[in-house]
Amino acid sequence: MAGIRLHVIAPLALAAVSKCARDPAVYVRRCAANALPKLHDLRLEEHASAIEELVGILLNDHSPGVVGAAAAAFTSICPNNFKLIGKNYKKLCQILPDVEEWGQILLIGTLLRYVVARHGLVRESLMLSIHGTNSNGFCEKDGLGRDLTLDKEDGGKSDSFDVNLVSLVSKCYIQGPDEYLSRSSCTDTVSSAFDTKETTSIAHNEDVKILLQCTSPLLWSNNSAVVLAAAGVQWIMAPLEDVKKIVKPLLFLLRSSSASKYVVLCNILVFAKAVPSLFAPHFENFFICSSDAYQVKAYKLEMLSLIATTSSIASILREFEDYIKDPDRRFAADTVAAIGLCAKRLMTIPTTCLDGLLALVRQESFAGDFESADGEAGVLVQAVMSIQTMIERDPLRHEKVLIQLFRSLDSIKVAAARATIIWMVGVYCSLGHIIPRMLTTITKYLAWSFKSEASETKLQILNTIAKVLISAEAGDFHMLKRIVVYVFELGEYDLSYDIRDRTRFLKKLLSCKLASHEPAEDSVASQENIAAHVVEHVFGRKLKSVSPITLHNRFYLPGSLSQIVLHAAPGYEPLPKPCSFVYEEQDQLSDLDKQREAAADLDGSEESSETGDENGSSDYDSESSNGSDFSSEGDERTVSNDANDPAAPLIQISETSVSADQEELRSRRALDLWLDDQPSTSNQTPSALNSNQSSYAKISIGDVGSRVKPKSYSLVDPGNGSGLKVDYAFLSEVSNVSPLHVCVEVLFENSSAEPILEVNLEDEESMKVADSSEQTLVGKANASYNNIPTLIPMEEISCLEPHQSTKRLIQVRFHHHLLPMRLTLHYNEKKVPVKLRPDLGYLVKPFSMSIEEFLATESRLPGMFEYSRRCTFDDHVKDSRTENGKDKFLSICESITLKVLSNSNLHLVSVDLPVANSLEDATGLRLRFSSKILSSEIPLLITITVEGKCTEVLNLTVKINCEETVFGLNLLNRIANFMVEPSSSAT
Amino acid sequence: MLQCIFLISDSGEVMLEKQLTGHRVDRSICAWFWDQYISQGDSFKALPVIASPTHYLFQIVRDGITFLACSQVEMPPLMAIEFLCRVADVLSEYLGGLNEDLIKDNFIIVYELLDEMIDNGFPLTTEPSILKEMIAPPNLVSKMLSVVTGNASNVSDTLPSGAGSCVPWRPTDPKYSSNEVYVDLVEEMDAIVNRDGELVKCEIYGEVQMNSQLTGFPDLTLSFANPSILEDMRFHPCVRYRPWESHQVLSFVPPDGEFKLMSYRVKKLKNTPVYVKPQITSDSGTCRISVLVGIRSDPGKTIESITLSFQLPHCVSSADLSSNHGTVTILSNKTCTWTIGRIPKDKTPCLSGTLALEPGLERLHVFPTFKLGFKIMGIALSGLRIEKLDLQTIPPRLYKGFRAQTRAGEFDVRL
Repeated sequence: MAGIRLHVIAPLALAAVSKCARDPAVYVRRCAANALPKLHDLRLEEHASAIEELVGILLNDHSPGVVGAAAAAFTSICPNNFKLIGKNYKKLCQILPDVEEWGQILLIGTLLRYVVARHGLVRESLMLSIHGTNSNGFCEKDGLGRDLTLDKEDGGKSDSFDVNLVSLVSKCYIQGPDEYLSRSSCTDTVSSAFDTKETTSIAHNEDVKILLQCTSPLLWSNNSAVVLAAAGVQWIMAPLEDVKKIVKPLLFLLRSSSASKYVVLCNILVFAKAVPSLFAPHFENFFICSSDAYQVKAYKLEMLSLIATTSSIASILREFEDYIKDPDRRFAADTVAAIGLCAKRLMTIPTTCLDGLLALVRQESFAGDFESADGEAGVLVQAVMSIQTMIERDPLRHEKVLIQLFRSLDSIKVAAARATIIWMVGVYCSLGHIIPRMLTTITKYLAWSFKSEASETKLQILNTIAKVLISAEAGDFHMLKRIVVYVFELGEYDLSYDIRDRTRFLKKLLSCKLASHEPAEDSVASQENIAAHVVEHVFGRKLKSVSPITLHNRFYLPGSLSQIVLHAAPGYEPLPKPCSFVYEEQDQLSDLDKQREAAADLDGSEESSETGDENGSSDYDSESSNGSDFSSEGDERTVSNDANDPAAPLIQISETSVSADQEELRSRRALDLWLDDQPSTSNQTPSALNSNQSSYAKISIGDVGSRVKPKSYSLVDPGNGSGLKVDYAFLSEVSNVSPLHVCVEVLFENSSAEPILEVNLEDEESMKVADSSEQTLVGKANASYNNIPTLIPMEEISCLEPHQSTKRLIQVRFHHHLLPMRLTLHYNEKKVPVKLRPDLGYLVKPFSMSIEEFLATESRLPGMFEYSRRCTFDDHVKDSRTENGKDKFLSICESITLKVLSNSNLHLVSVDLPVANSLEDATGLRLRFSSKILSSEIPLLITITVEGKCTEVLNLTVKINCEETVFGLNLLNRIANFMVEPSSSAT
Repeated sequence: MLQCIFLISDSGEVMLEKQLTGHRVDRSICAWFWDQYISQGDSFKALPVIASPTHYLFQIVRDGITFLACSQVEMPPLMAIEFLCRVADVLSEYLGGLNEDLIKDNFIIVYELLDEMIDNGFPLTTEPSILKEMIAPPNLVSKMLSVVTGNASNVSDTLPSGAGSCVPWRPTDPKYSSNEVYVDLVEEMDAIVNRDGELVKCEIYGEVQMNSQLTGFPDLTLSFANPSILEDMRFHPCVRYRPWESHQVLSFVPPDGEFKLMSYRVKKLKNTPVYVKPQITSDSGTCRISVLVGIRSDPGKTIESITLSFQLPHCVSSADLSSNHGTVTILSNKTCTWTIGRIPKDKTPCLSGTLALEPGLERLHVFPTFKLGFKIMGIALSGLRIEKLDLQTIPPRLYKGFRAQTRAGEFDVRL
């Protein structure tokens, strides 16, 4: 049913789902969990909180199947509502291995997020290991007894992985893409961004430990996605020495389908970039099979060149040699590039590499003569490039190689490769002894071949000869100069304008050199001097070493889609900020409550023997005790932290979250009770919970009507209405026009300095009709359209003086109980469209009935027509402070009634109080209201049951019995919302 | 979450479209996909995750059919890929293979299966045995019935009984007159022999496949004689992790019917059963090639269906190959397959011939890789041995069967 995407039936579906969420059958509960995202997808704001509550209930389920589906619902509905996780954390961890595989994937991610948000990163983990060395001082001060061996290990290991990269990775995990963009300019400077406060230690934190324990067997899962998710958790949270665990399972994933192979490799690559030593012993796994797809091959090559060590390089190189002969030439070219990378990483191997590459260049240059395939050219270019990177490190030693390369210029035909070699001529022209002597020959050759070159090569020739000329020694200078002039002349008349430009530019630049006859001659003119300087700077500067990691240094969470496509996919969320979520201790729960809870559990377990539901209650029992342990532990931790840094208190208790916590706890309890009660008393309502307390006292409340103040809403605020402020409030009077109309009092106030003329409110639709048909009689037009006008217009206000306010009464008929009505506000001959929002509470009218009638009606509306919600109430707390003399119960009743009646149009039927209650305990207090829906005259009953102590925040259960389910549910939500709202009239 | 699943035939036709969420995905995404494939060629097909302008696409290719899933938001890519793999597995099991015609003939079944397997973009039931209980596999009888009665649905009316229990992979109470359980060790040998004839990598990837037809709620324990040789393993969800961690015993409640209990890998093997010795010499535009295949170490059982296939390099214009045993075929895409079968006792199979290179080319500078295929019944080359299979409660007339087989997986011999 949830699949029917209609807004109208959403409340019905929600009611059905919430019933099903408490169903005794596992399958039904699971389906309920599956339906939740669909409901959420309809984006009905007013149900959001109800849906989240249901997610919480389902997450607390003891059946793994349900939890899996609930986890899916959680991630799609409220991925950041960690409160729901916090309550069940331990249980979720324990149940994790039994959850069905698809649920596991999401649940793992959720738990990881929760732990990070709750406790921050783990100090011993890889992510923060760098700080182990940075912050030794901190560790000692910390005094938490961290073992020093760990620090030593950190020190020893830090050279085995790229410290900067690791910190970058971990930073990226936490920062969102927006943040990253804003900070990208200064990422290098922001070092050790993590506050030590935001970390936690595995030795001291049960939560982290249990998560790691529960995810590690999942590394053996049959589902590769589960394995990767589990590996991600270990990678982020596990201490350094345990991260090794993930290596083998990850590598084993490479044996699965080719598609997942690609994804896994992508992720392994990131891991390996940060810590090559992890994968170094397993290099054999990355040897390439002929059946691998090209992308997989490329990734494997990258892996191999990353993890090569001095011990493994020999066999890796031998493999590379094989790959070069592969028929796939693109792959062969990549291999050559990989060799270059290896050589760059490991100092010892270049000589062997170079020999191989040179041989390759020679061989390729022969083959290149006959091959026109692009692949061949690619291989050759890559080979030359690789050689170039190797030479770059230590040019002096490789003079011979250079010479060989220069010699092979003749046979190499590929333009890009030629260009690279020619570039090297320019750069290394003054190197060693032999090269300078070769220069004239080379330049002669270049000048000779200039005509037939590709434009890319021509540009390079121009650059090179310019460089050569500058560094030329006296003996060759004249010769060189002549060559240069010749080449420039050729270049000036080239077909390509790029080359012509370059030639002219160089010619101007070098004009001083060309004009002079001696290389070392000092020109007197200062202008020429400047030119010479420029030339020196352009051509004469030394090569800068390029920083090794320049490419994409964005990292996303392991296993995420964004990591594969290398941009943040919509919906991608980095890990939450460490310690952003503070779990509140439920210390405000009174002892009494706890006792009663225990009693309830006892009841539950007694009854469960027949339903075979033993797990539920026992689990719950242990869980609750765990919960309290764990929160107290959390408290200790903060205390110790506080001691270190008293200036920054970590926990700030806010009232709202506490009450919400309690509310959740309550609903959970209700679920347990309901589940256990179910078989015997299927029709019993949750309010039957106090049935053992037999006698009730009736309380009569004096006239509260006088104190009822209707709430006013703003229609136009002075900013929009150029000084005109319009408020409206719903009145409880019954309209005299028709039973369908609601009376609305509109208050106009002029807050500007000038008078406002001709203020009026009109219905937008009728306006349209009037405009289009040129009819003057608005009422008539409307009457033909519908029998009853939607708006009984008000008297026009002809003039509103500054700071004057006037009240007018309008009567409105809403078409739908949720949709706002569009009206047009006229003033000063302007039109402003406004929206009049219906208040559900005033779409009903009081319907007086006796308590007997009430109960009779209630019993006729069971099942689908009955729905309840919980909320909290705290008005009376403020009240009791002001008026101490009054009876507490009376004041509670009064404040609740007041609140209800100020927000809706109801009739108070009765107020009951169980006699057996102690003075402080307000539990069992029950208020009944009755009303009829305006539009359909259907009776609607509201029962509010109170739980809790008089002086504290109360928990209310609001129950509505009504045939009109949709309306009833919406009203229920409305009531629950306004009960929680702080009241403005509580003075 | 996944929004839509398409099945595309190898000619680019969208055979099947299954929308999963309320937000419809337009079919034009398939057109885009196919255009890209046409323009970029095979390497595009090999890319499992593609970021298209509007959606993220996940694709797997099975037997010429592309399974394409679309998503617009972040989700674990492996989840999508793994799910598509499961869909492909289940479909090929139901339909007895995968090809265009089979899918077109059984549209209803495919849709029914997809309905059960995924809901609102989230995988639901993927266990084949449970699916079979819900949706009857197509067979002649059901086809007849549907034709005769006109009742097209073959979705069972009752809920699978296992769905509610704590072991979702097993129906609650299957009944068999004879209780049978079979364990198969199916191993694949992955090896790489490099140009020098050296064995670079040799490892076994194995699966323990079971077929259990047991009454009631059996609890099985499978133990190996030498579990220490296992390097990596992955288990079916039914396997309990604790007993394996503590004393390397597989304890599980099996699903009904056939399933894969675990997969494992044994590394660093020293020997292959078969050797391949290729030789190639090239001179002045022609190449002489000769390949010898023989038994290196006798595993004790006959080695069957040996095949050797390789791709001739592009620069080879024509080939003339012959063998003294078996048949040689060269396809138009220059794939050459030599089917040997069993190795005869009296001679060593030899493939020899000449390759003519394209004009102008003196020597061959790229070399093909030979892929070897073989099959040995009755032996697990890894040396893994099953010690015993215990049932907690022994049902009447229990039959336990064990089998083993090894075949070549990715066995590459480089020239």
